[in-house]
Amino acid sequence: MDLTTAIDMDSNKLLNLALRKGGDYADLYFEQNTFHSIVLRDGEVNAAATDNEGGLGIRVVSGQNTGYAYTESSLPRDREEAARTASHIAQGLIRTSKPVQIATMNLPDRYRILKPWEDFSPQDKMPFLYDLNDRIFSADKRVKKVTARLSDSTSRIEIYNSLGIHCTDVRPLASLSVTCVMESNGQRESASASRSFRMGGEFLHPDLIRELAQEIITRTSFLFGAKQPHGGEMPVVMAAGGSGILLHEAIGHAFEADFARKKVSIFSDMMGKRVCNPGITVIDDGTIPGNRGSLNVDDEGVPGQKTYMVTDGILTSFLHDRISARYFQSEPTGNGRRESFRYMPMPRMRATYMDNGRDTEETLIASVKKGLYVDTFSNGQVQIGAGDFTFYVKSGYLIENGKLTQPIKDTNIIGNGPEALARITGVTRNCLIDDGAWTCGKEQSCAVSCGMPSVLVSSLTVGGRV
Amino acid sequence: MKQKDLLQQMCDYALEVSLRKGAQHARIAAISNTAHELSVLNDTIDTIQKSVDSSLMINLFVEGRYGTCSTNKADPAGIDKLLDDAIASVRLLAPDPFRKLVPADLRYKGVPLYSAHRGSVDTEVKKAFLSGCAASIWGKDPALISVTAGYSDYRRWLHLADSDGLSCTSENTWYSLSVECAVRGRGDTRPSDWDYEGGIKPEDIGIGSPGIPCRCAASALERALAKRNPRKIGSGRYQVIVENRVAATLLSPMIDAISGSSLQQQNSFLLDKLGKSIASPALTLIDSPCLRGSPGYRFFDSEGLATAKRTVIETGRLNMFFLSTYYALKMQMPVTISAPSLLLLKAGKGNAATFAGLIKNGIFVTGFNGGNCNTATGDFSYGIEGFKVENGQITYPVNEMVMTGNMLDLWNRLLAAGDDALKTMSWQIPSLVFDTIEFAGL
Repeated sequence: MDLTTAIDMDSNKLLNLALRKGGDYADLYFEQNTFHSIVLRDGEVNAAATDNEGGLGIRVVSGQNTGYAYTESSLPRDREEAARTASHIAQGLIRTSKPVQIATMNLPDRYRILKPWEDFSPQDKMPFLYDLNDRIFSADKRVKKVTARLSDSTSRIEIYNSLGIHCTDVRPLASLSVTCVMESNGQRESASASRSFRMGGEFLHPDLIRELAQEIITRTSFLFGAKQPHGGEMPVVMAAGGSGILLHEAIGHAFEADFARKKVSIFSDMMGKRVCNPGITVIDDGTIPGNRGSLNVDDEGVPGQKTYMVTDGILTSFLHDRISARYFQSEPTGNGRRESFRYMPMPRMRATYMDNGRDTEETLIASVKKGLYVDTFSNGQVQIGAGDFTFYVKSGYLIENGKLTQPIKDTNIIGNGPEALARITGVTRNCLIDDGAWTCGKEQSCAVSCGMPSVLVSSLTVGGRV
Repeated sequence: MKQKDLLQQMCDYALEVSLRKGAQHARIAAISNTAHELSVLNDTIDTIQKSVDSSLMINLFVEGRYGTCSTNKADPAGIDKLLDDAIASVRLLAPDPFRKLVPADLRYKGVPLYSAHRGSVDTEVKKAFLSGCAASIWGKDPALISVTAGYSDYRRWLHLADSDGLSCTSENTWYSLSVECAVRGRGDTRPSDWDYEGGIKPEDIGIGSPGIPCRCAASALERALAKRNPRKIGSGRYQVIVENRVAATLLSPMIDAISGSSLQQQNSFLLDKLGKSIASPALTLIDSPCLRGSPGYRFFDSEGLATAKRTVIETGRLNMFFLSTYYALKMQMPVTISAPSLLLLKAGKGNAATFAGLIKNGIFVTGFNGGNCNTATGDFSYGIEGFKVENGQITYPVNEMVMTGNMLDLWNRLLAAGDDALKTMSWQIPSLVFDTIEFAGL
């Protein structure tokens, strides 16, 4: 499949075939994706990978129900067979919709590609990995191993739907990740760091390499003096940036409207109600230029946008795809996303962050007699219905009598979403988006990002020694 | 043409072109997969999905250099173009003398693996099966908010070949049924839980015998209801029972730590432990790839190494590392296998309930909520959910607790393993009981 094939084909015919048994809506999602990666290991860039794949996903929606099929073939008979398969969901239902005249939608360009990745060979990319490796080894004699991976992908998508919408998007995604192992006096520690943006080859810049080298050295060195903390309930100051994982896990998933539609989210019945203290505003944003979670258009033809989930402490919007928007008689919010043409779209986050408050980080730390300050994270999880969420802390400090003291590492923090939100008692004015390679794994993988100003949560359960 | 022959033809073509275009060696995997999924939400068919995939994965060895390329397009022109670009790219890389094909004496040379059901299940049969499953509990308990019943099946063909003569084939099917229930709990909470059945043929999940799906649905509902109104309990050291269906979570960091990629990068807390005691004598772990009908059943790994039954850990002593050809050469150690196939933790006697009968003050862990393990040190911290065990009885549900420790210490505290491993999992780990572990709560 390529875009030319998609444009030339009779999309109306396929949409008609998909809706032959009825149904409210149908769409065609064409995708062509090219992926490259190179790996540095033991001082050499000596492995490379290339993947080239594409296909067409066809979806029929009937009420809240979905029929889906995809084909990797560009043959008309295979595409028609996929449309027939998807059409089965509407069997026996009376609602019907027919495709209308298709018009092409104009979209903004939030990830302008200055240097297309297809113009870059491994030879153009390798010096950046060697530079990163050299900087890390020369910075600290304790460094034993460095592994770095540079990957880039360019995804070309094209959508037609029975509402008459046609749009195309070209989505670049570049990521550089590094892992460092250090050893000192028989103690080994490892840490990882990454950067990821929707950018072309201009992503490769000496400043990026310098920044990442410095960060991985700092992160790994820090661990030698750190300990697992004592566990229990305590106040936690979450540093600006990656602490946005709190929002992603504690509330973001529970605001994804497929869960609310199925009545399995703890926030299902809380629209319009207070969920946080006044002054707290939480946003899911697909419009940040070059951000890993940004979208010109989502995967069902809804323009990328900025969605205020919580406004001044009140739950004001779920994150919708077309199905949940119809159910809640709301507008889709541009959150209908999918991993690839192989998956049907569902509500997913983009870049989730909290607006600035009025406090300073120093005052938050000073207000805590005994607690924790946390600043780097690796992974998180949530139980949508029970509301219990966790995130894993790679590093931070104890707070004792208002000051940062003992470095800490490797602790899981657990809380309950609505309770934790209500316990946010301080928000600073230093909101920072974390540009690491965050990936959300709700049934499918999706590139996301998160951010946060520093906040004080008055009580969370910290894992640790007892 | 039969699927097996078609995949072999694709491999032969890609091999021939790879060599013609400049590779000295190549390994090709051709995969074809057909899958169906249906779900019922409460009393309505919610989703129907059909997937037909094919992919070609090519490992290229060019002038002492190594790279891979893959595509889901099987047309010769597309493969030719992909290989032109990939080989040109690989030539630009640094040499890697440790990249080799599988040694001839370790290569799989046997018959094709066939672990598949003949025939298919009609869509209307699937719909009736799932609807019946959900209907067996929907509306039967006032606390039940939602039930999602999911059916899936797949048929997967694989042909793996290399330029030194490797040629092996497999065909697998798998059928599964899952049921998830959400119930109304205290306040706005909606605790949920699930159950699962799986097997290589439709009968394994109860197609044609309604007892199995009804039991699966009833179990999911019962588990969800039991999780209502949980409490957080005091921080402290507790004896722990870990349920069979989640016990693999605790084993996973141990397996990661003895895999070639972690060891060679010195990012492993088991780096110097080969031949040494790393766990309690109650831990014996066997990789048993040839248990027909089980998930993980295979005759060869992803590079064509023949699988074999191996004792990974014997009464607490570490017997082997998982080393592919590449990592074995880099580490100057014998090649074993790249990853475990079907891990069996040697059974003892009993299950979670019988273990609970022996515990005065403990926690029965039925699920993990997030958490991680530091690969270099073995320090871990996991969120948990489960039940308090008091005076030999499994009592009220607990949540918002975190279990923390070090992997080596944890596994040295293993007291006993049960005999209730689930046959639907590729890591068949029974319920386990550990001596006191640290939990943070109130």
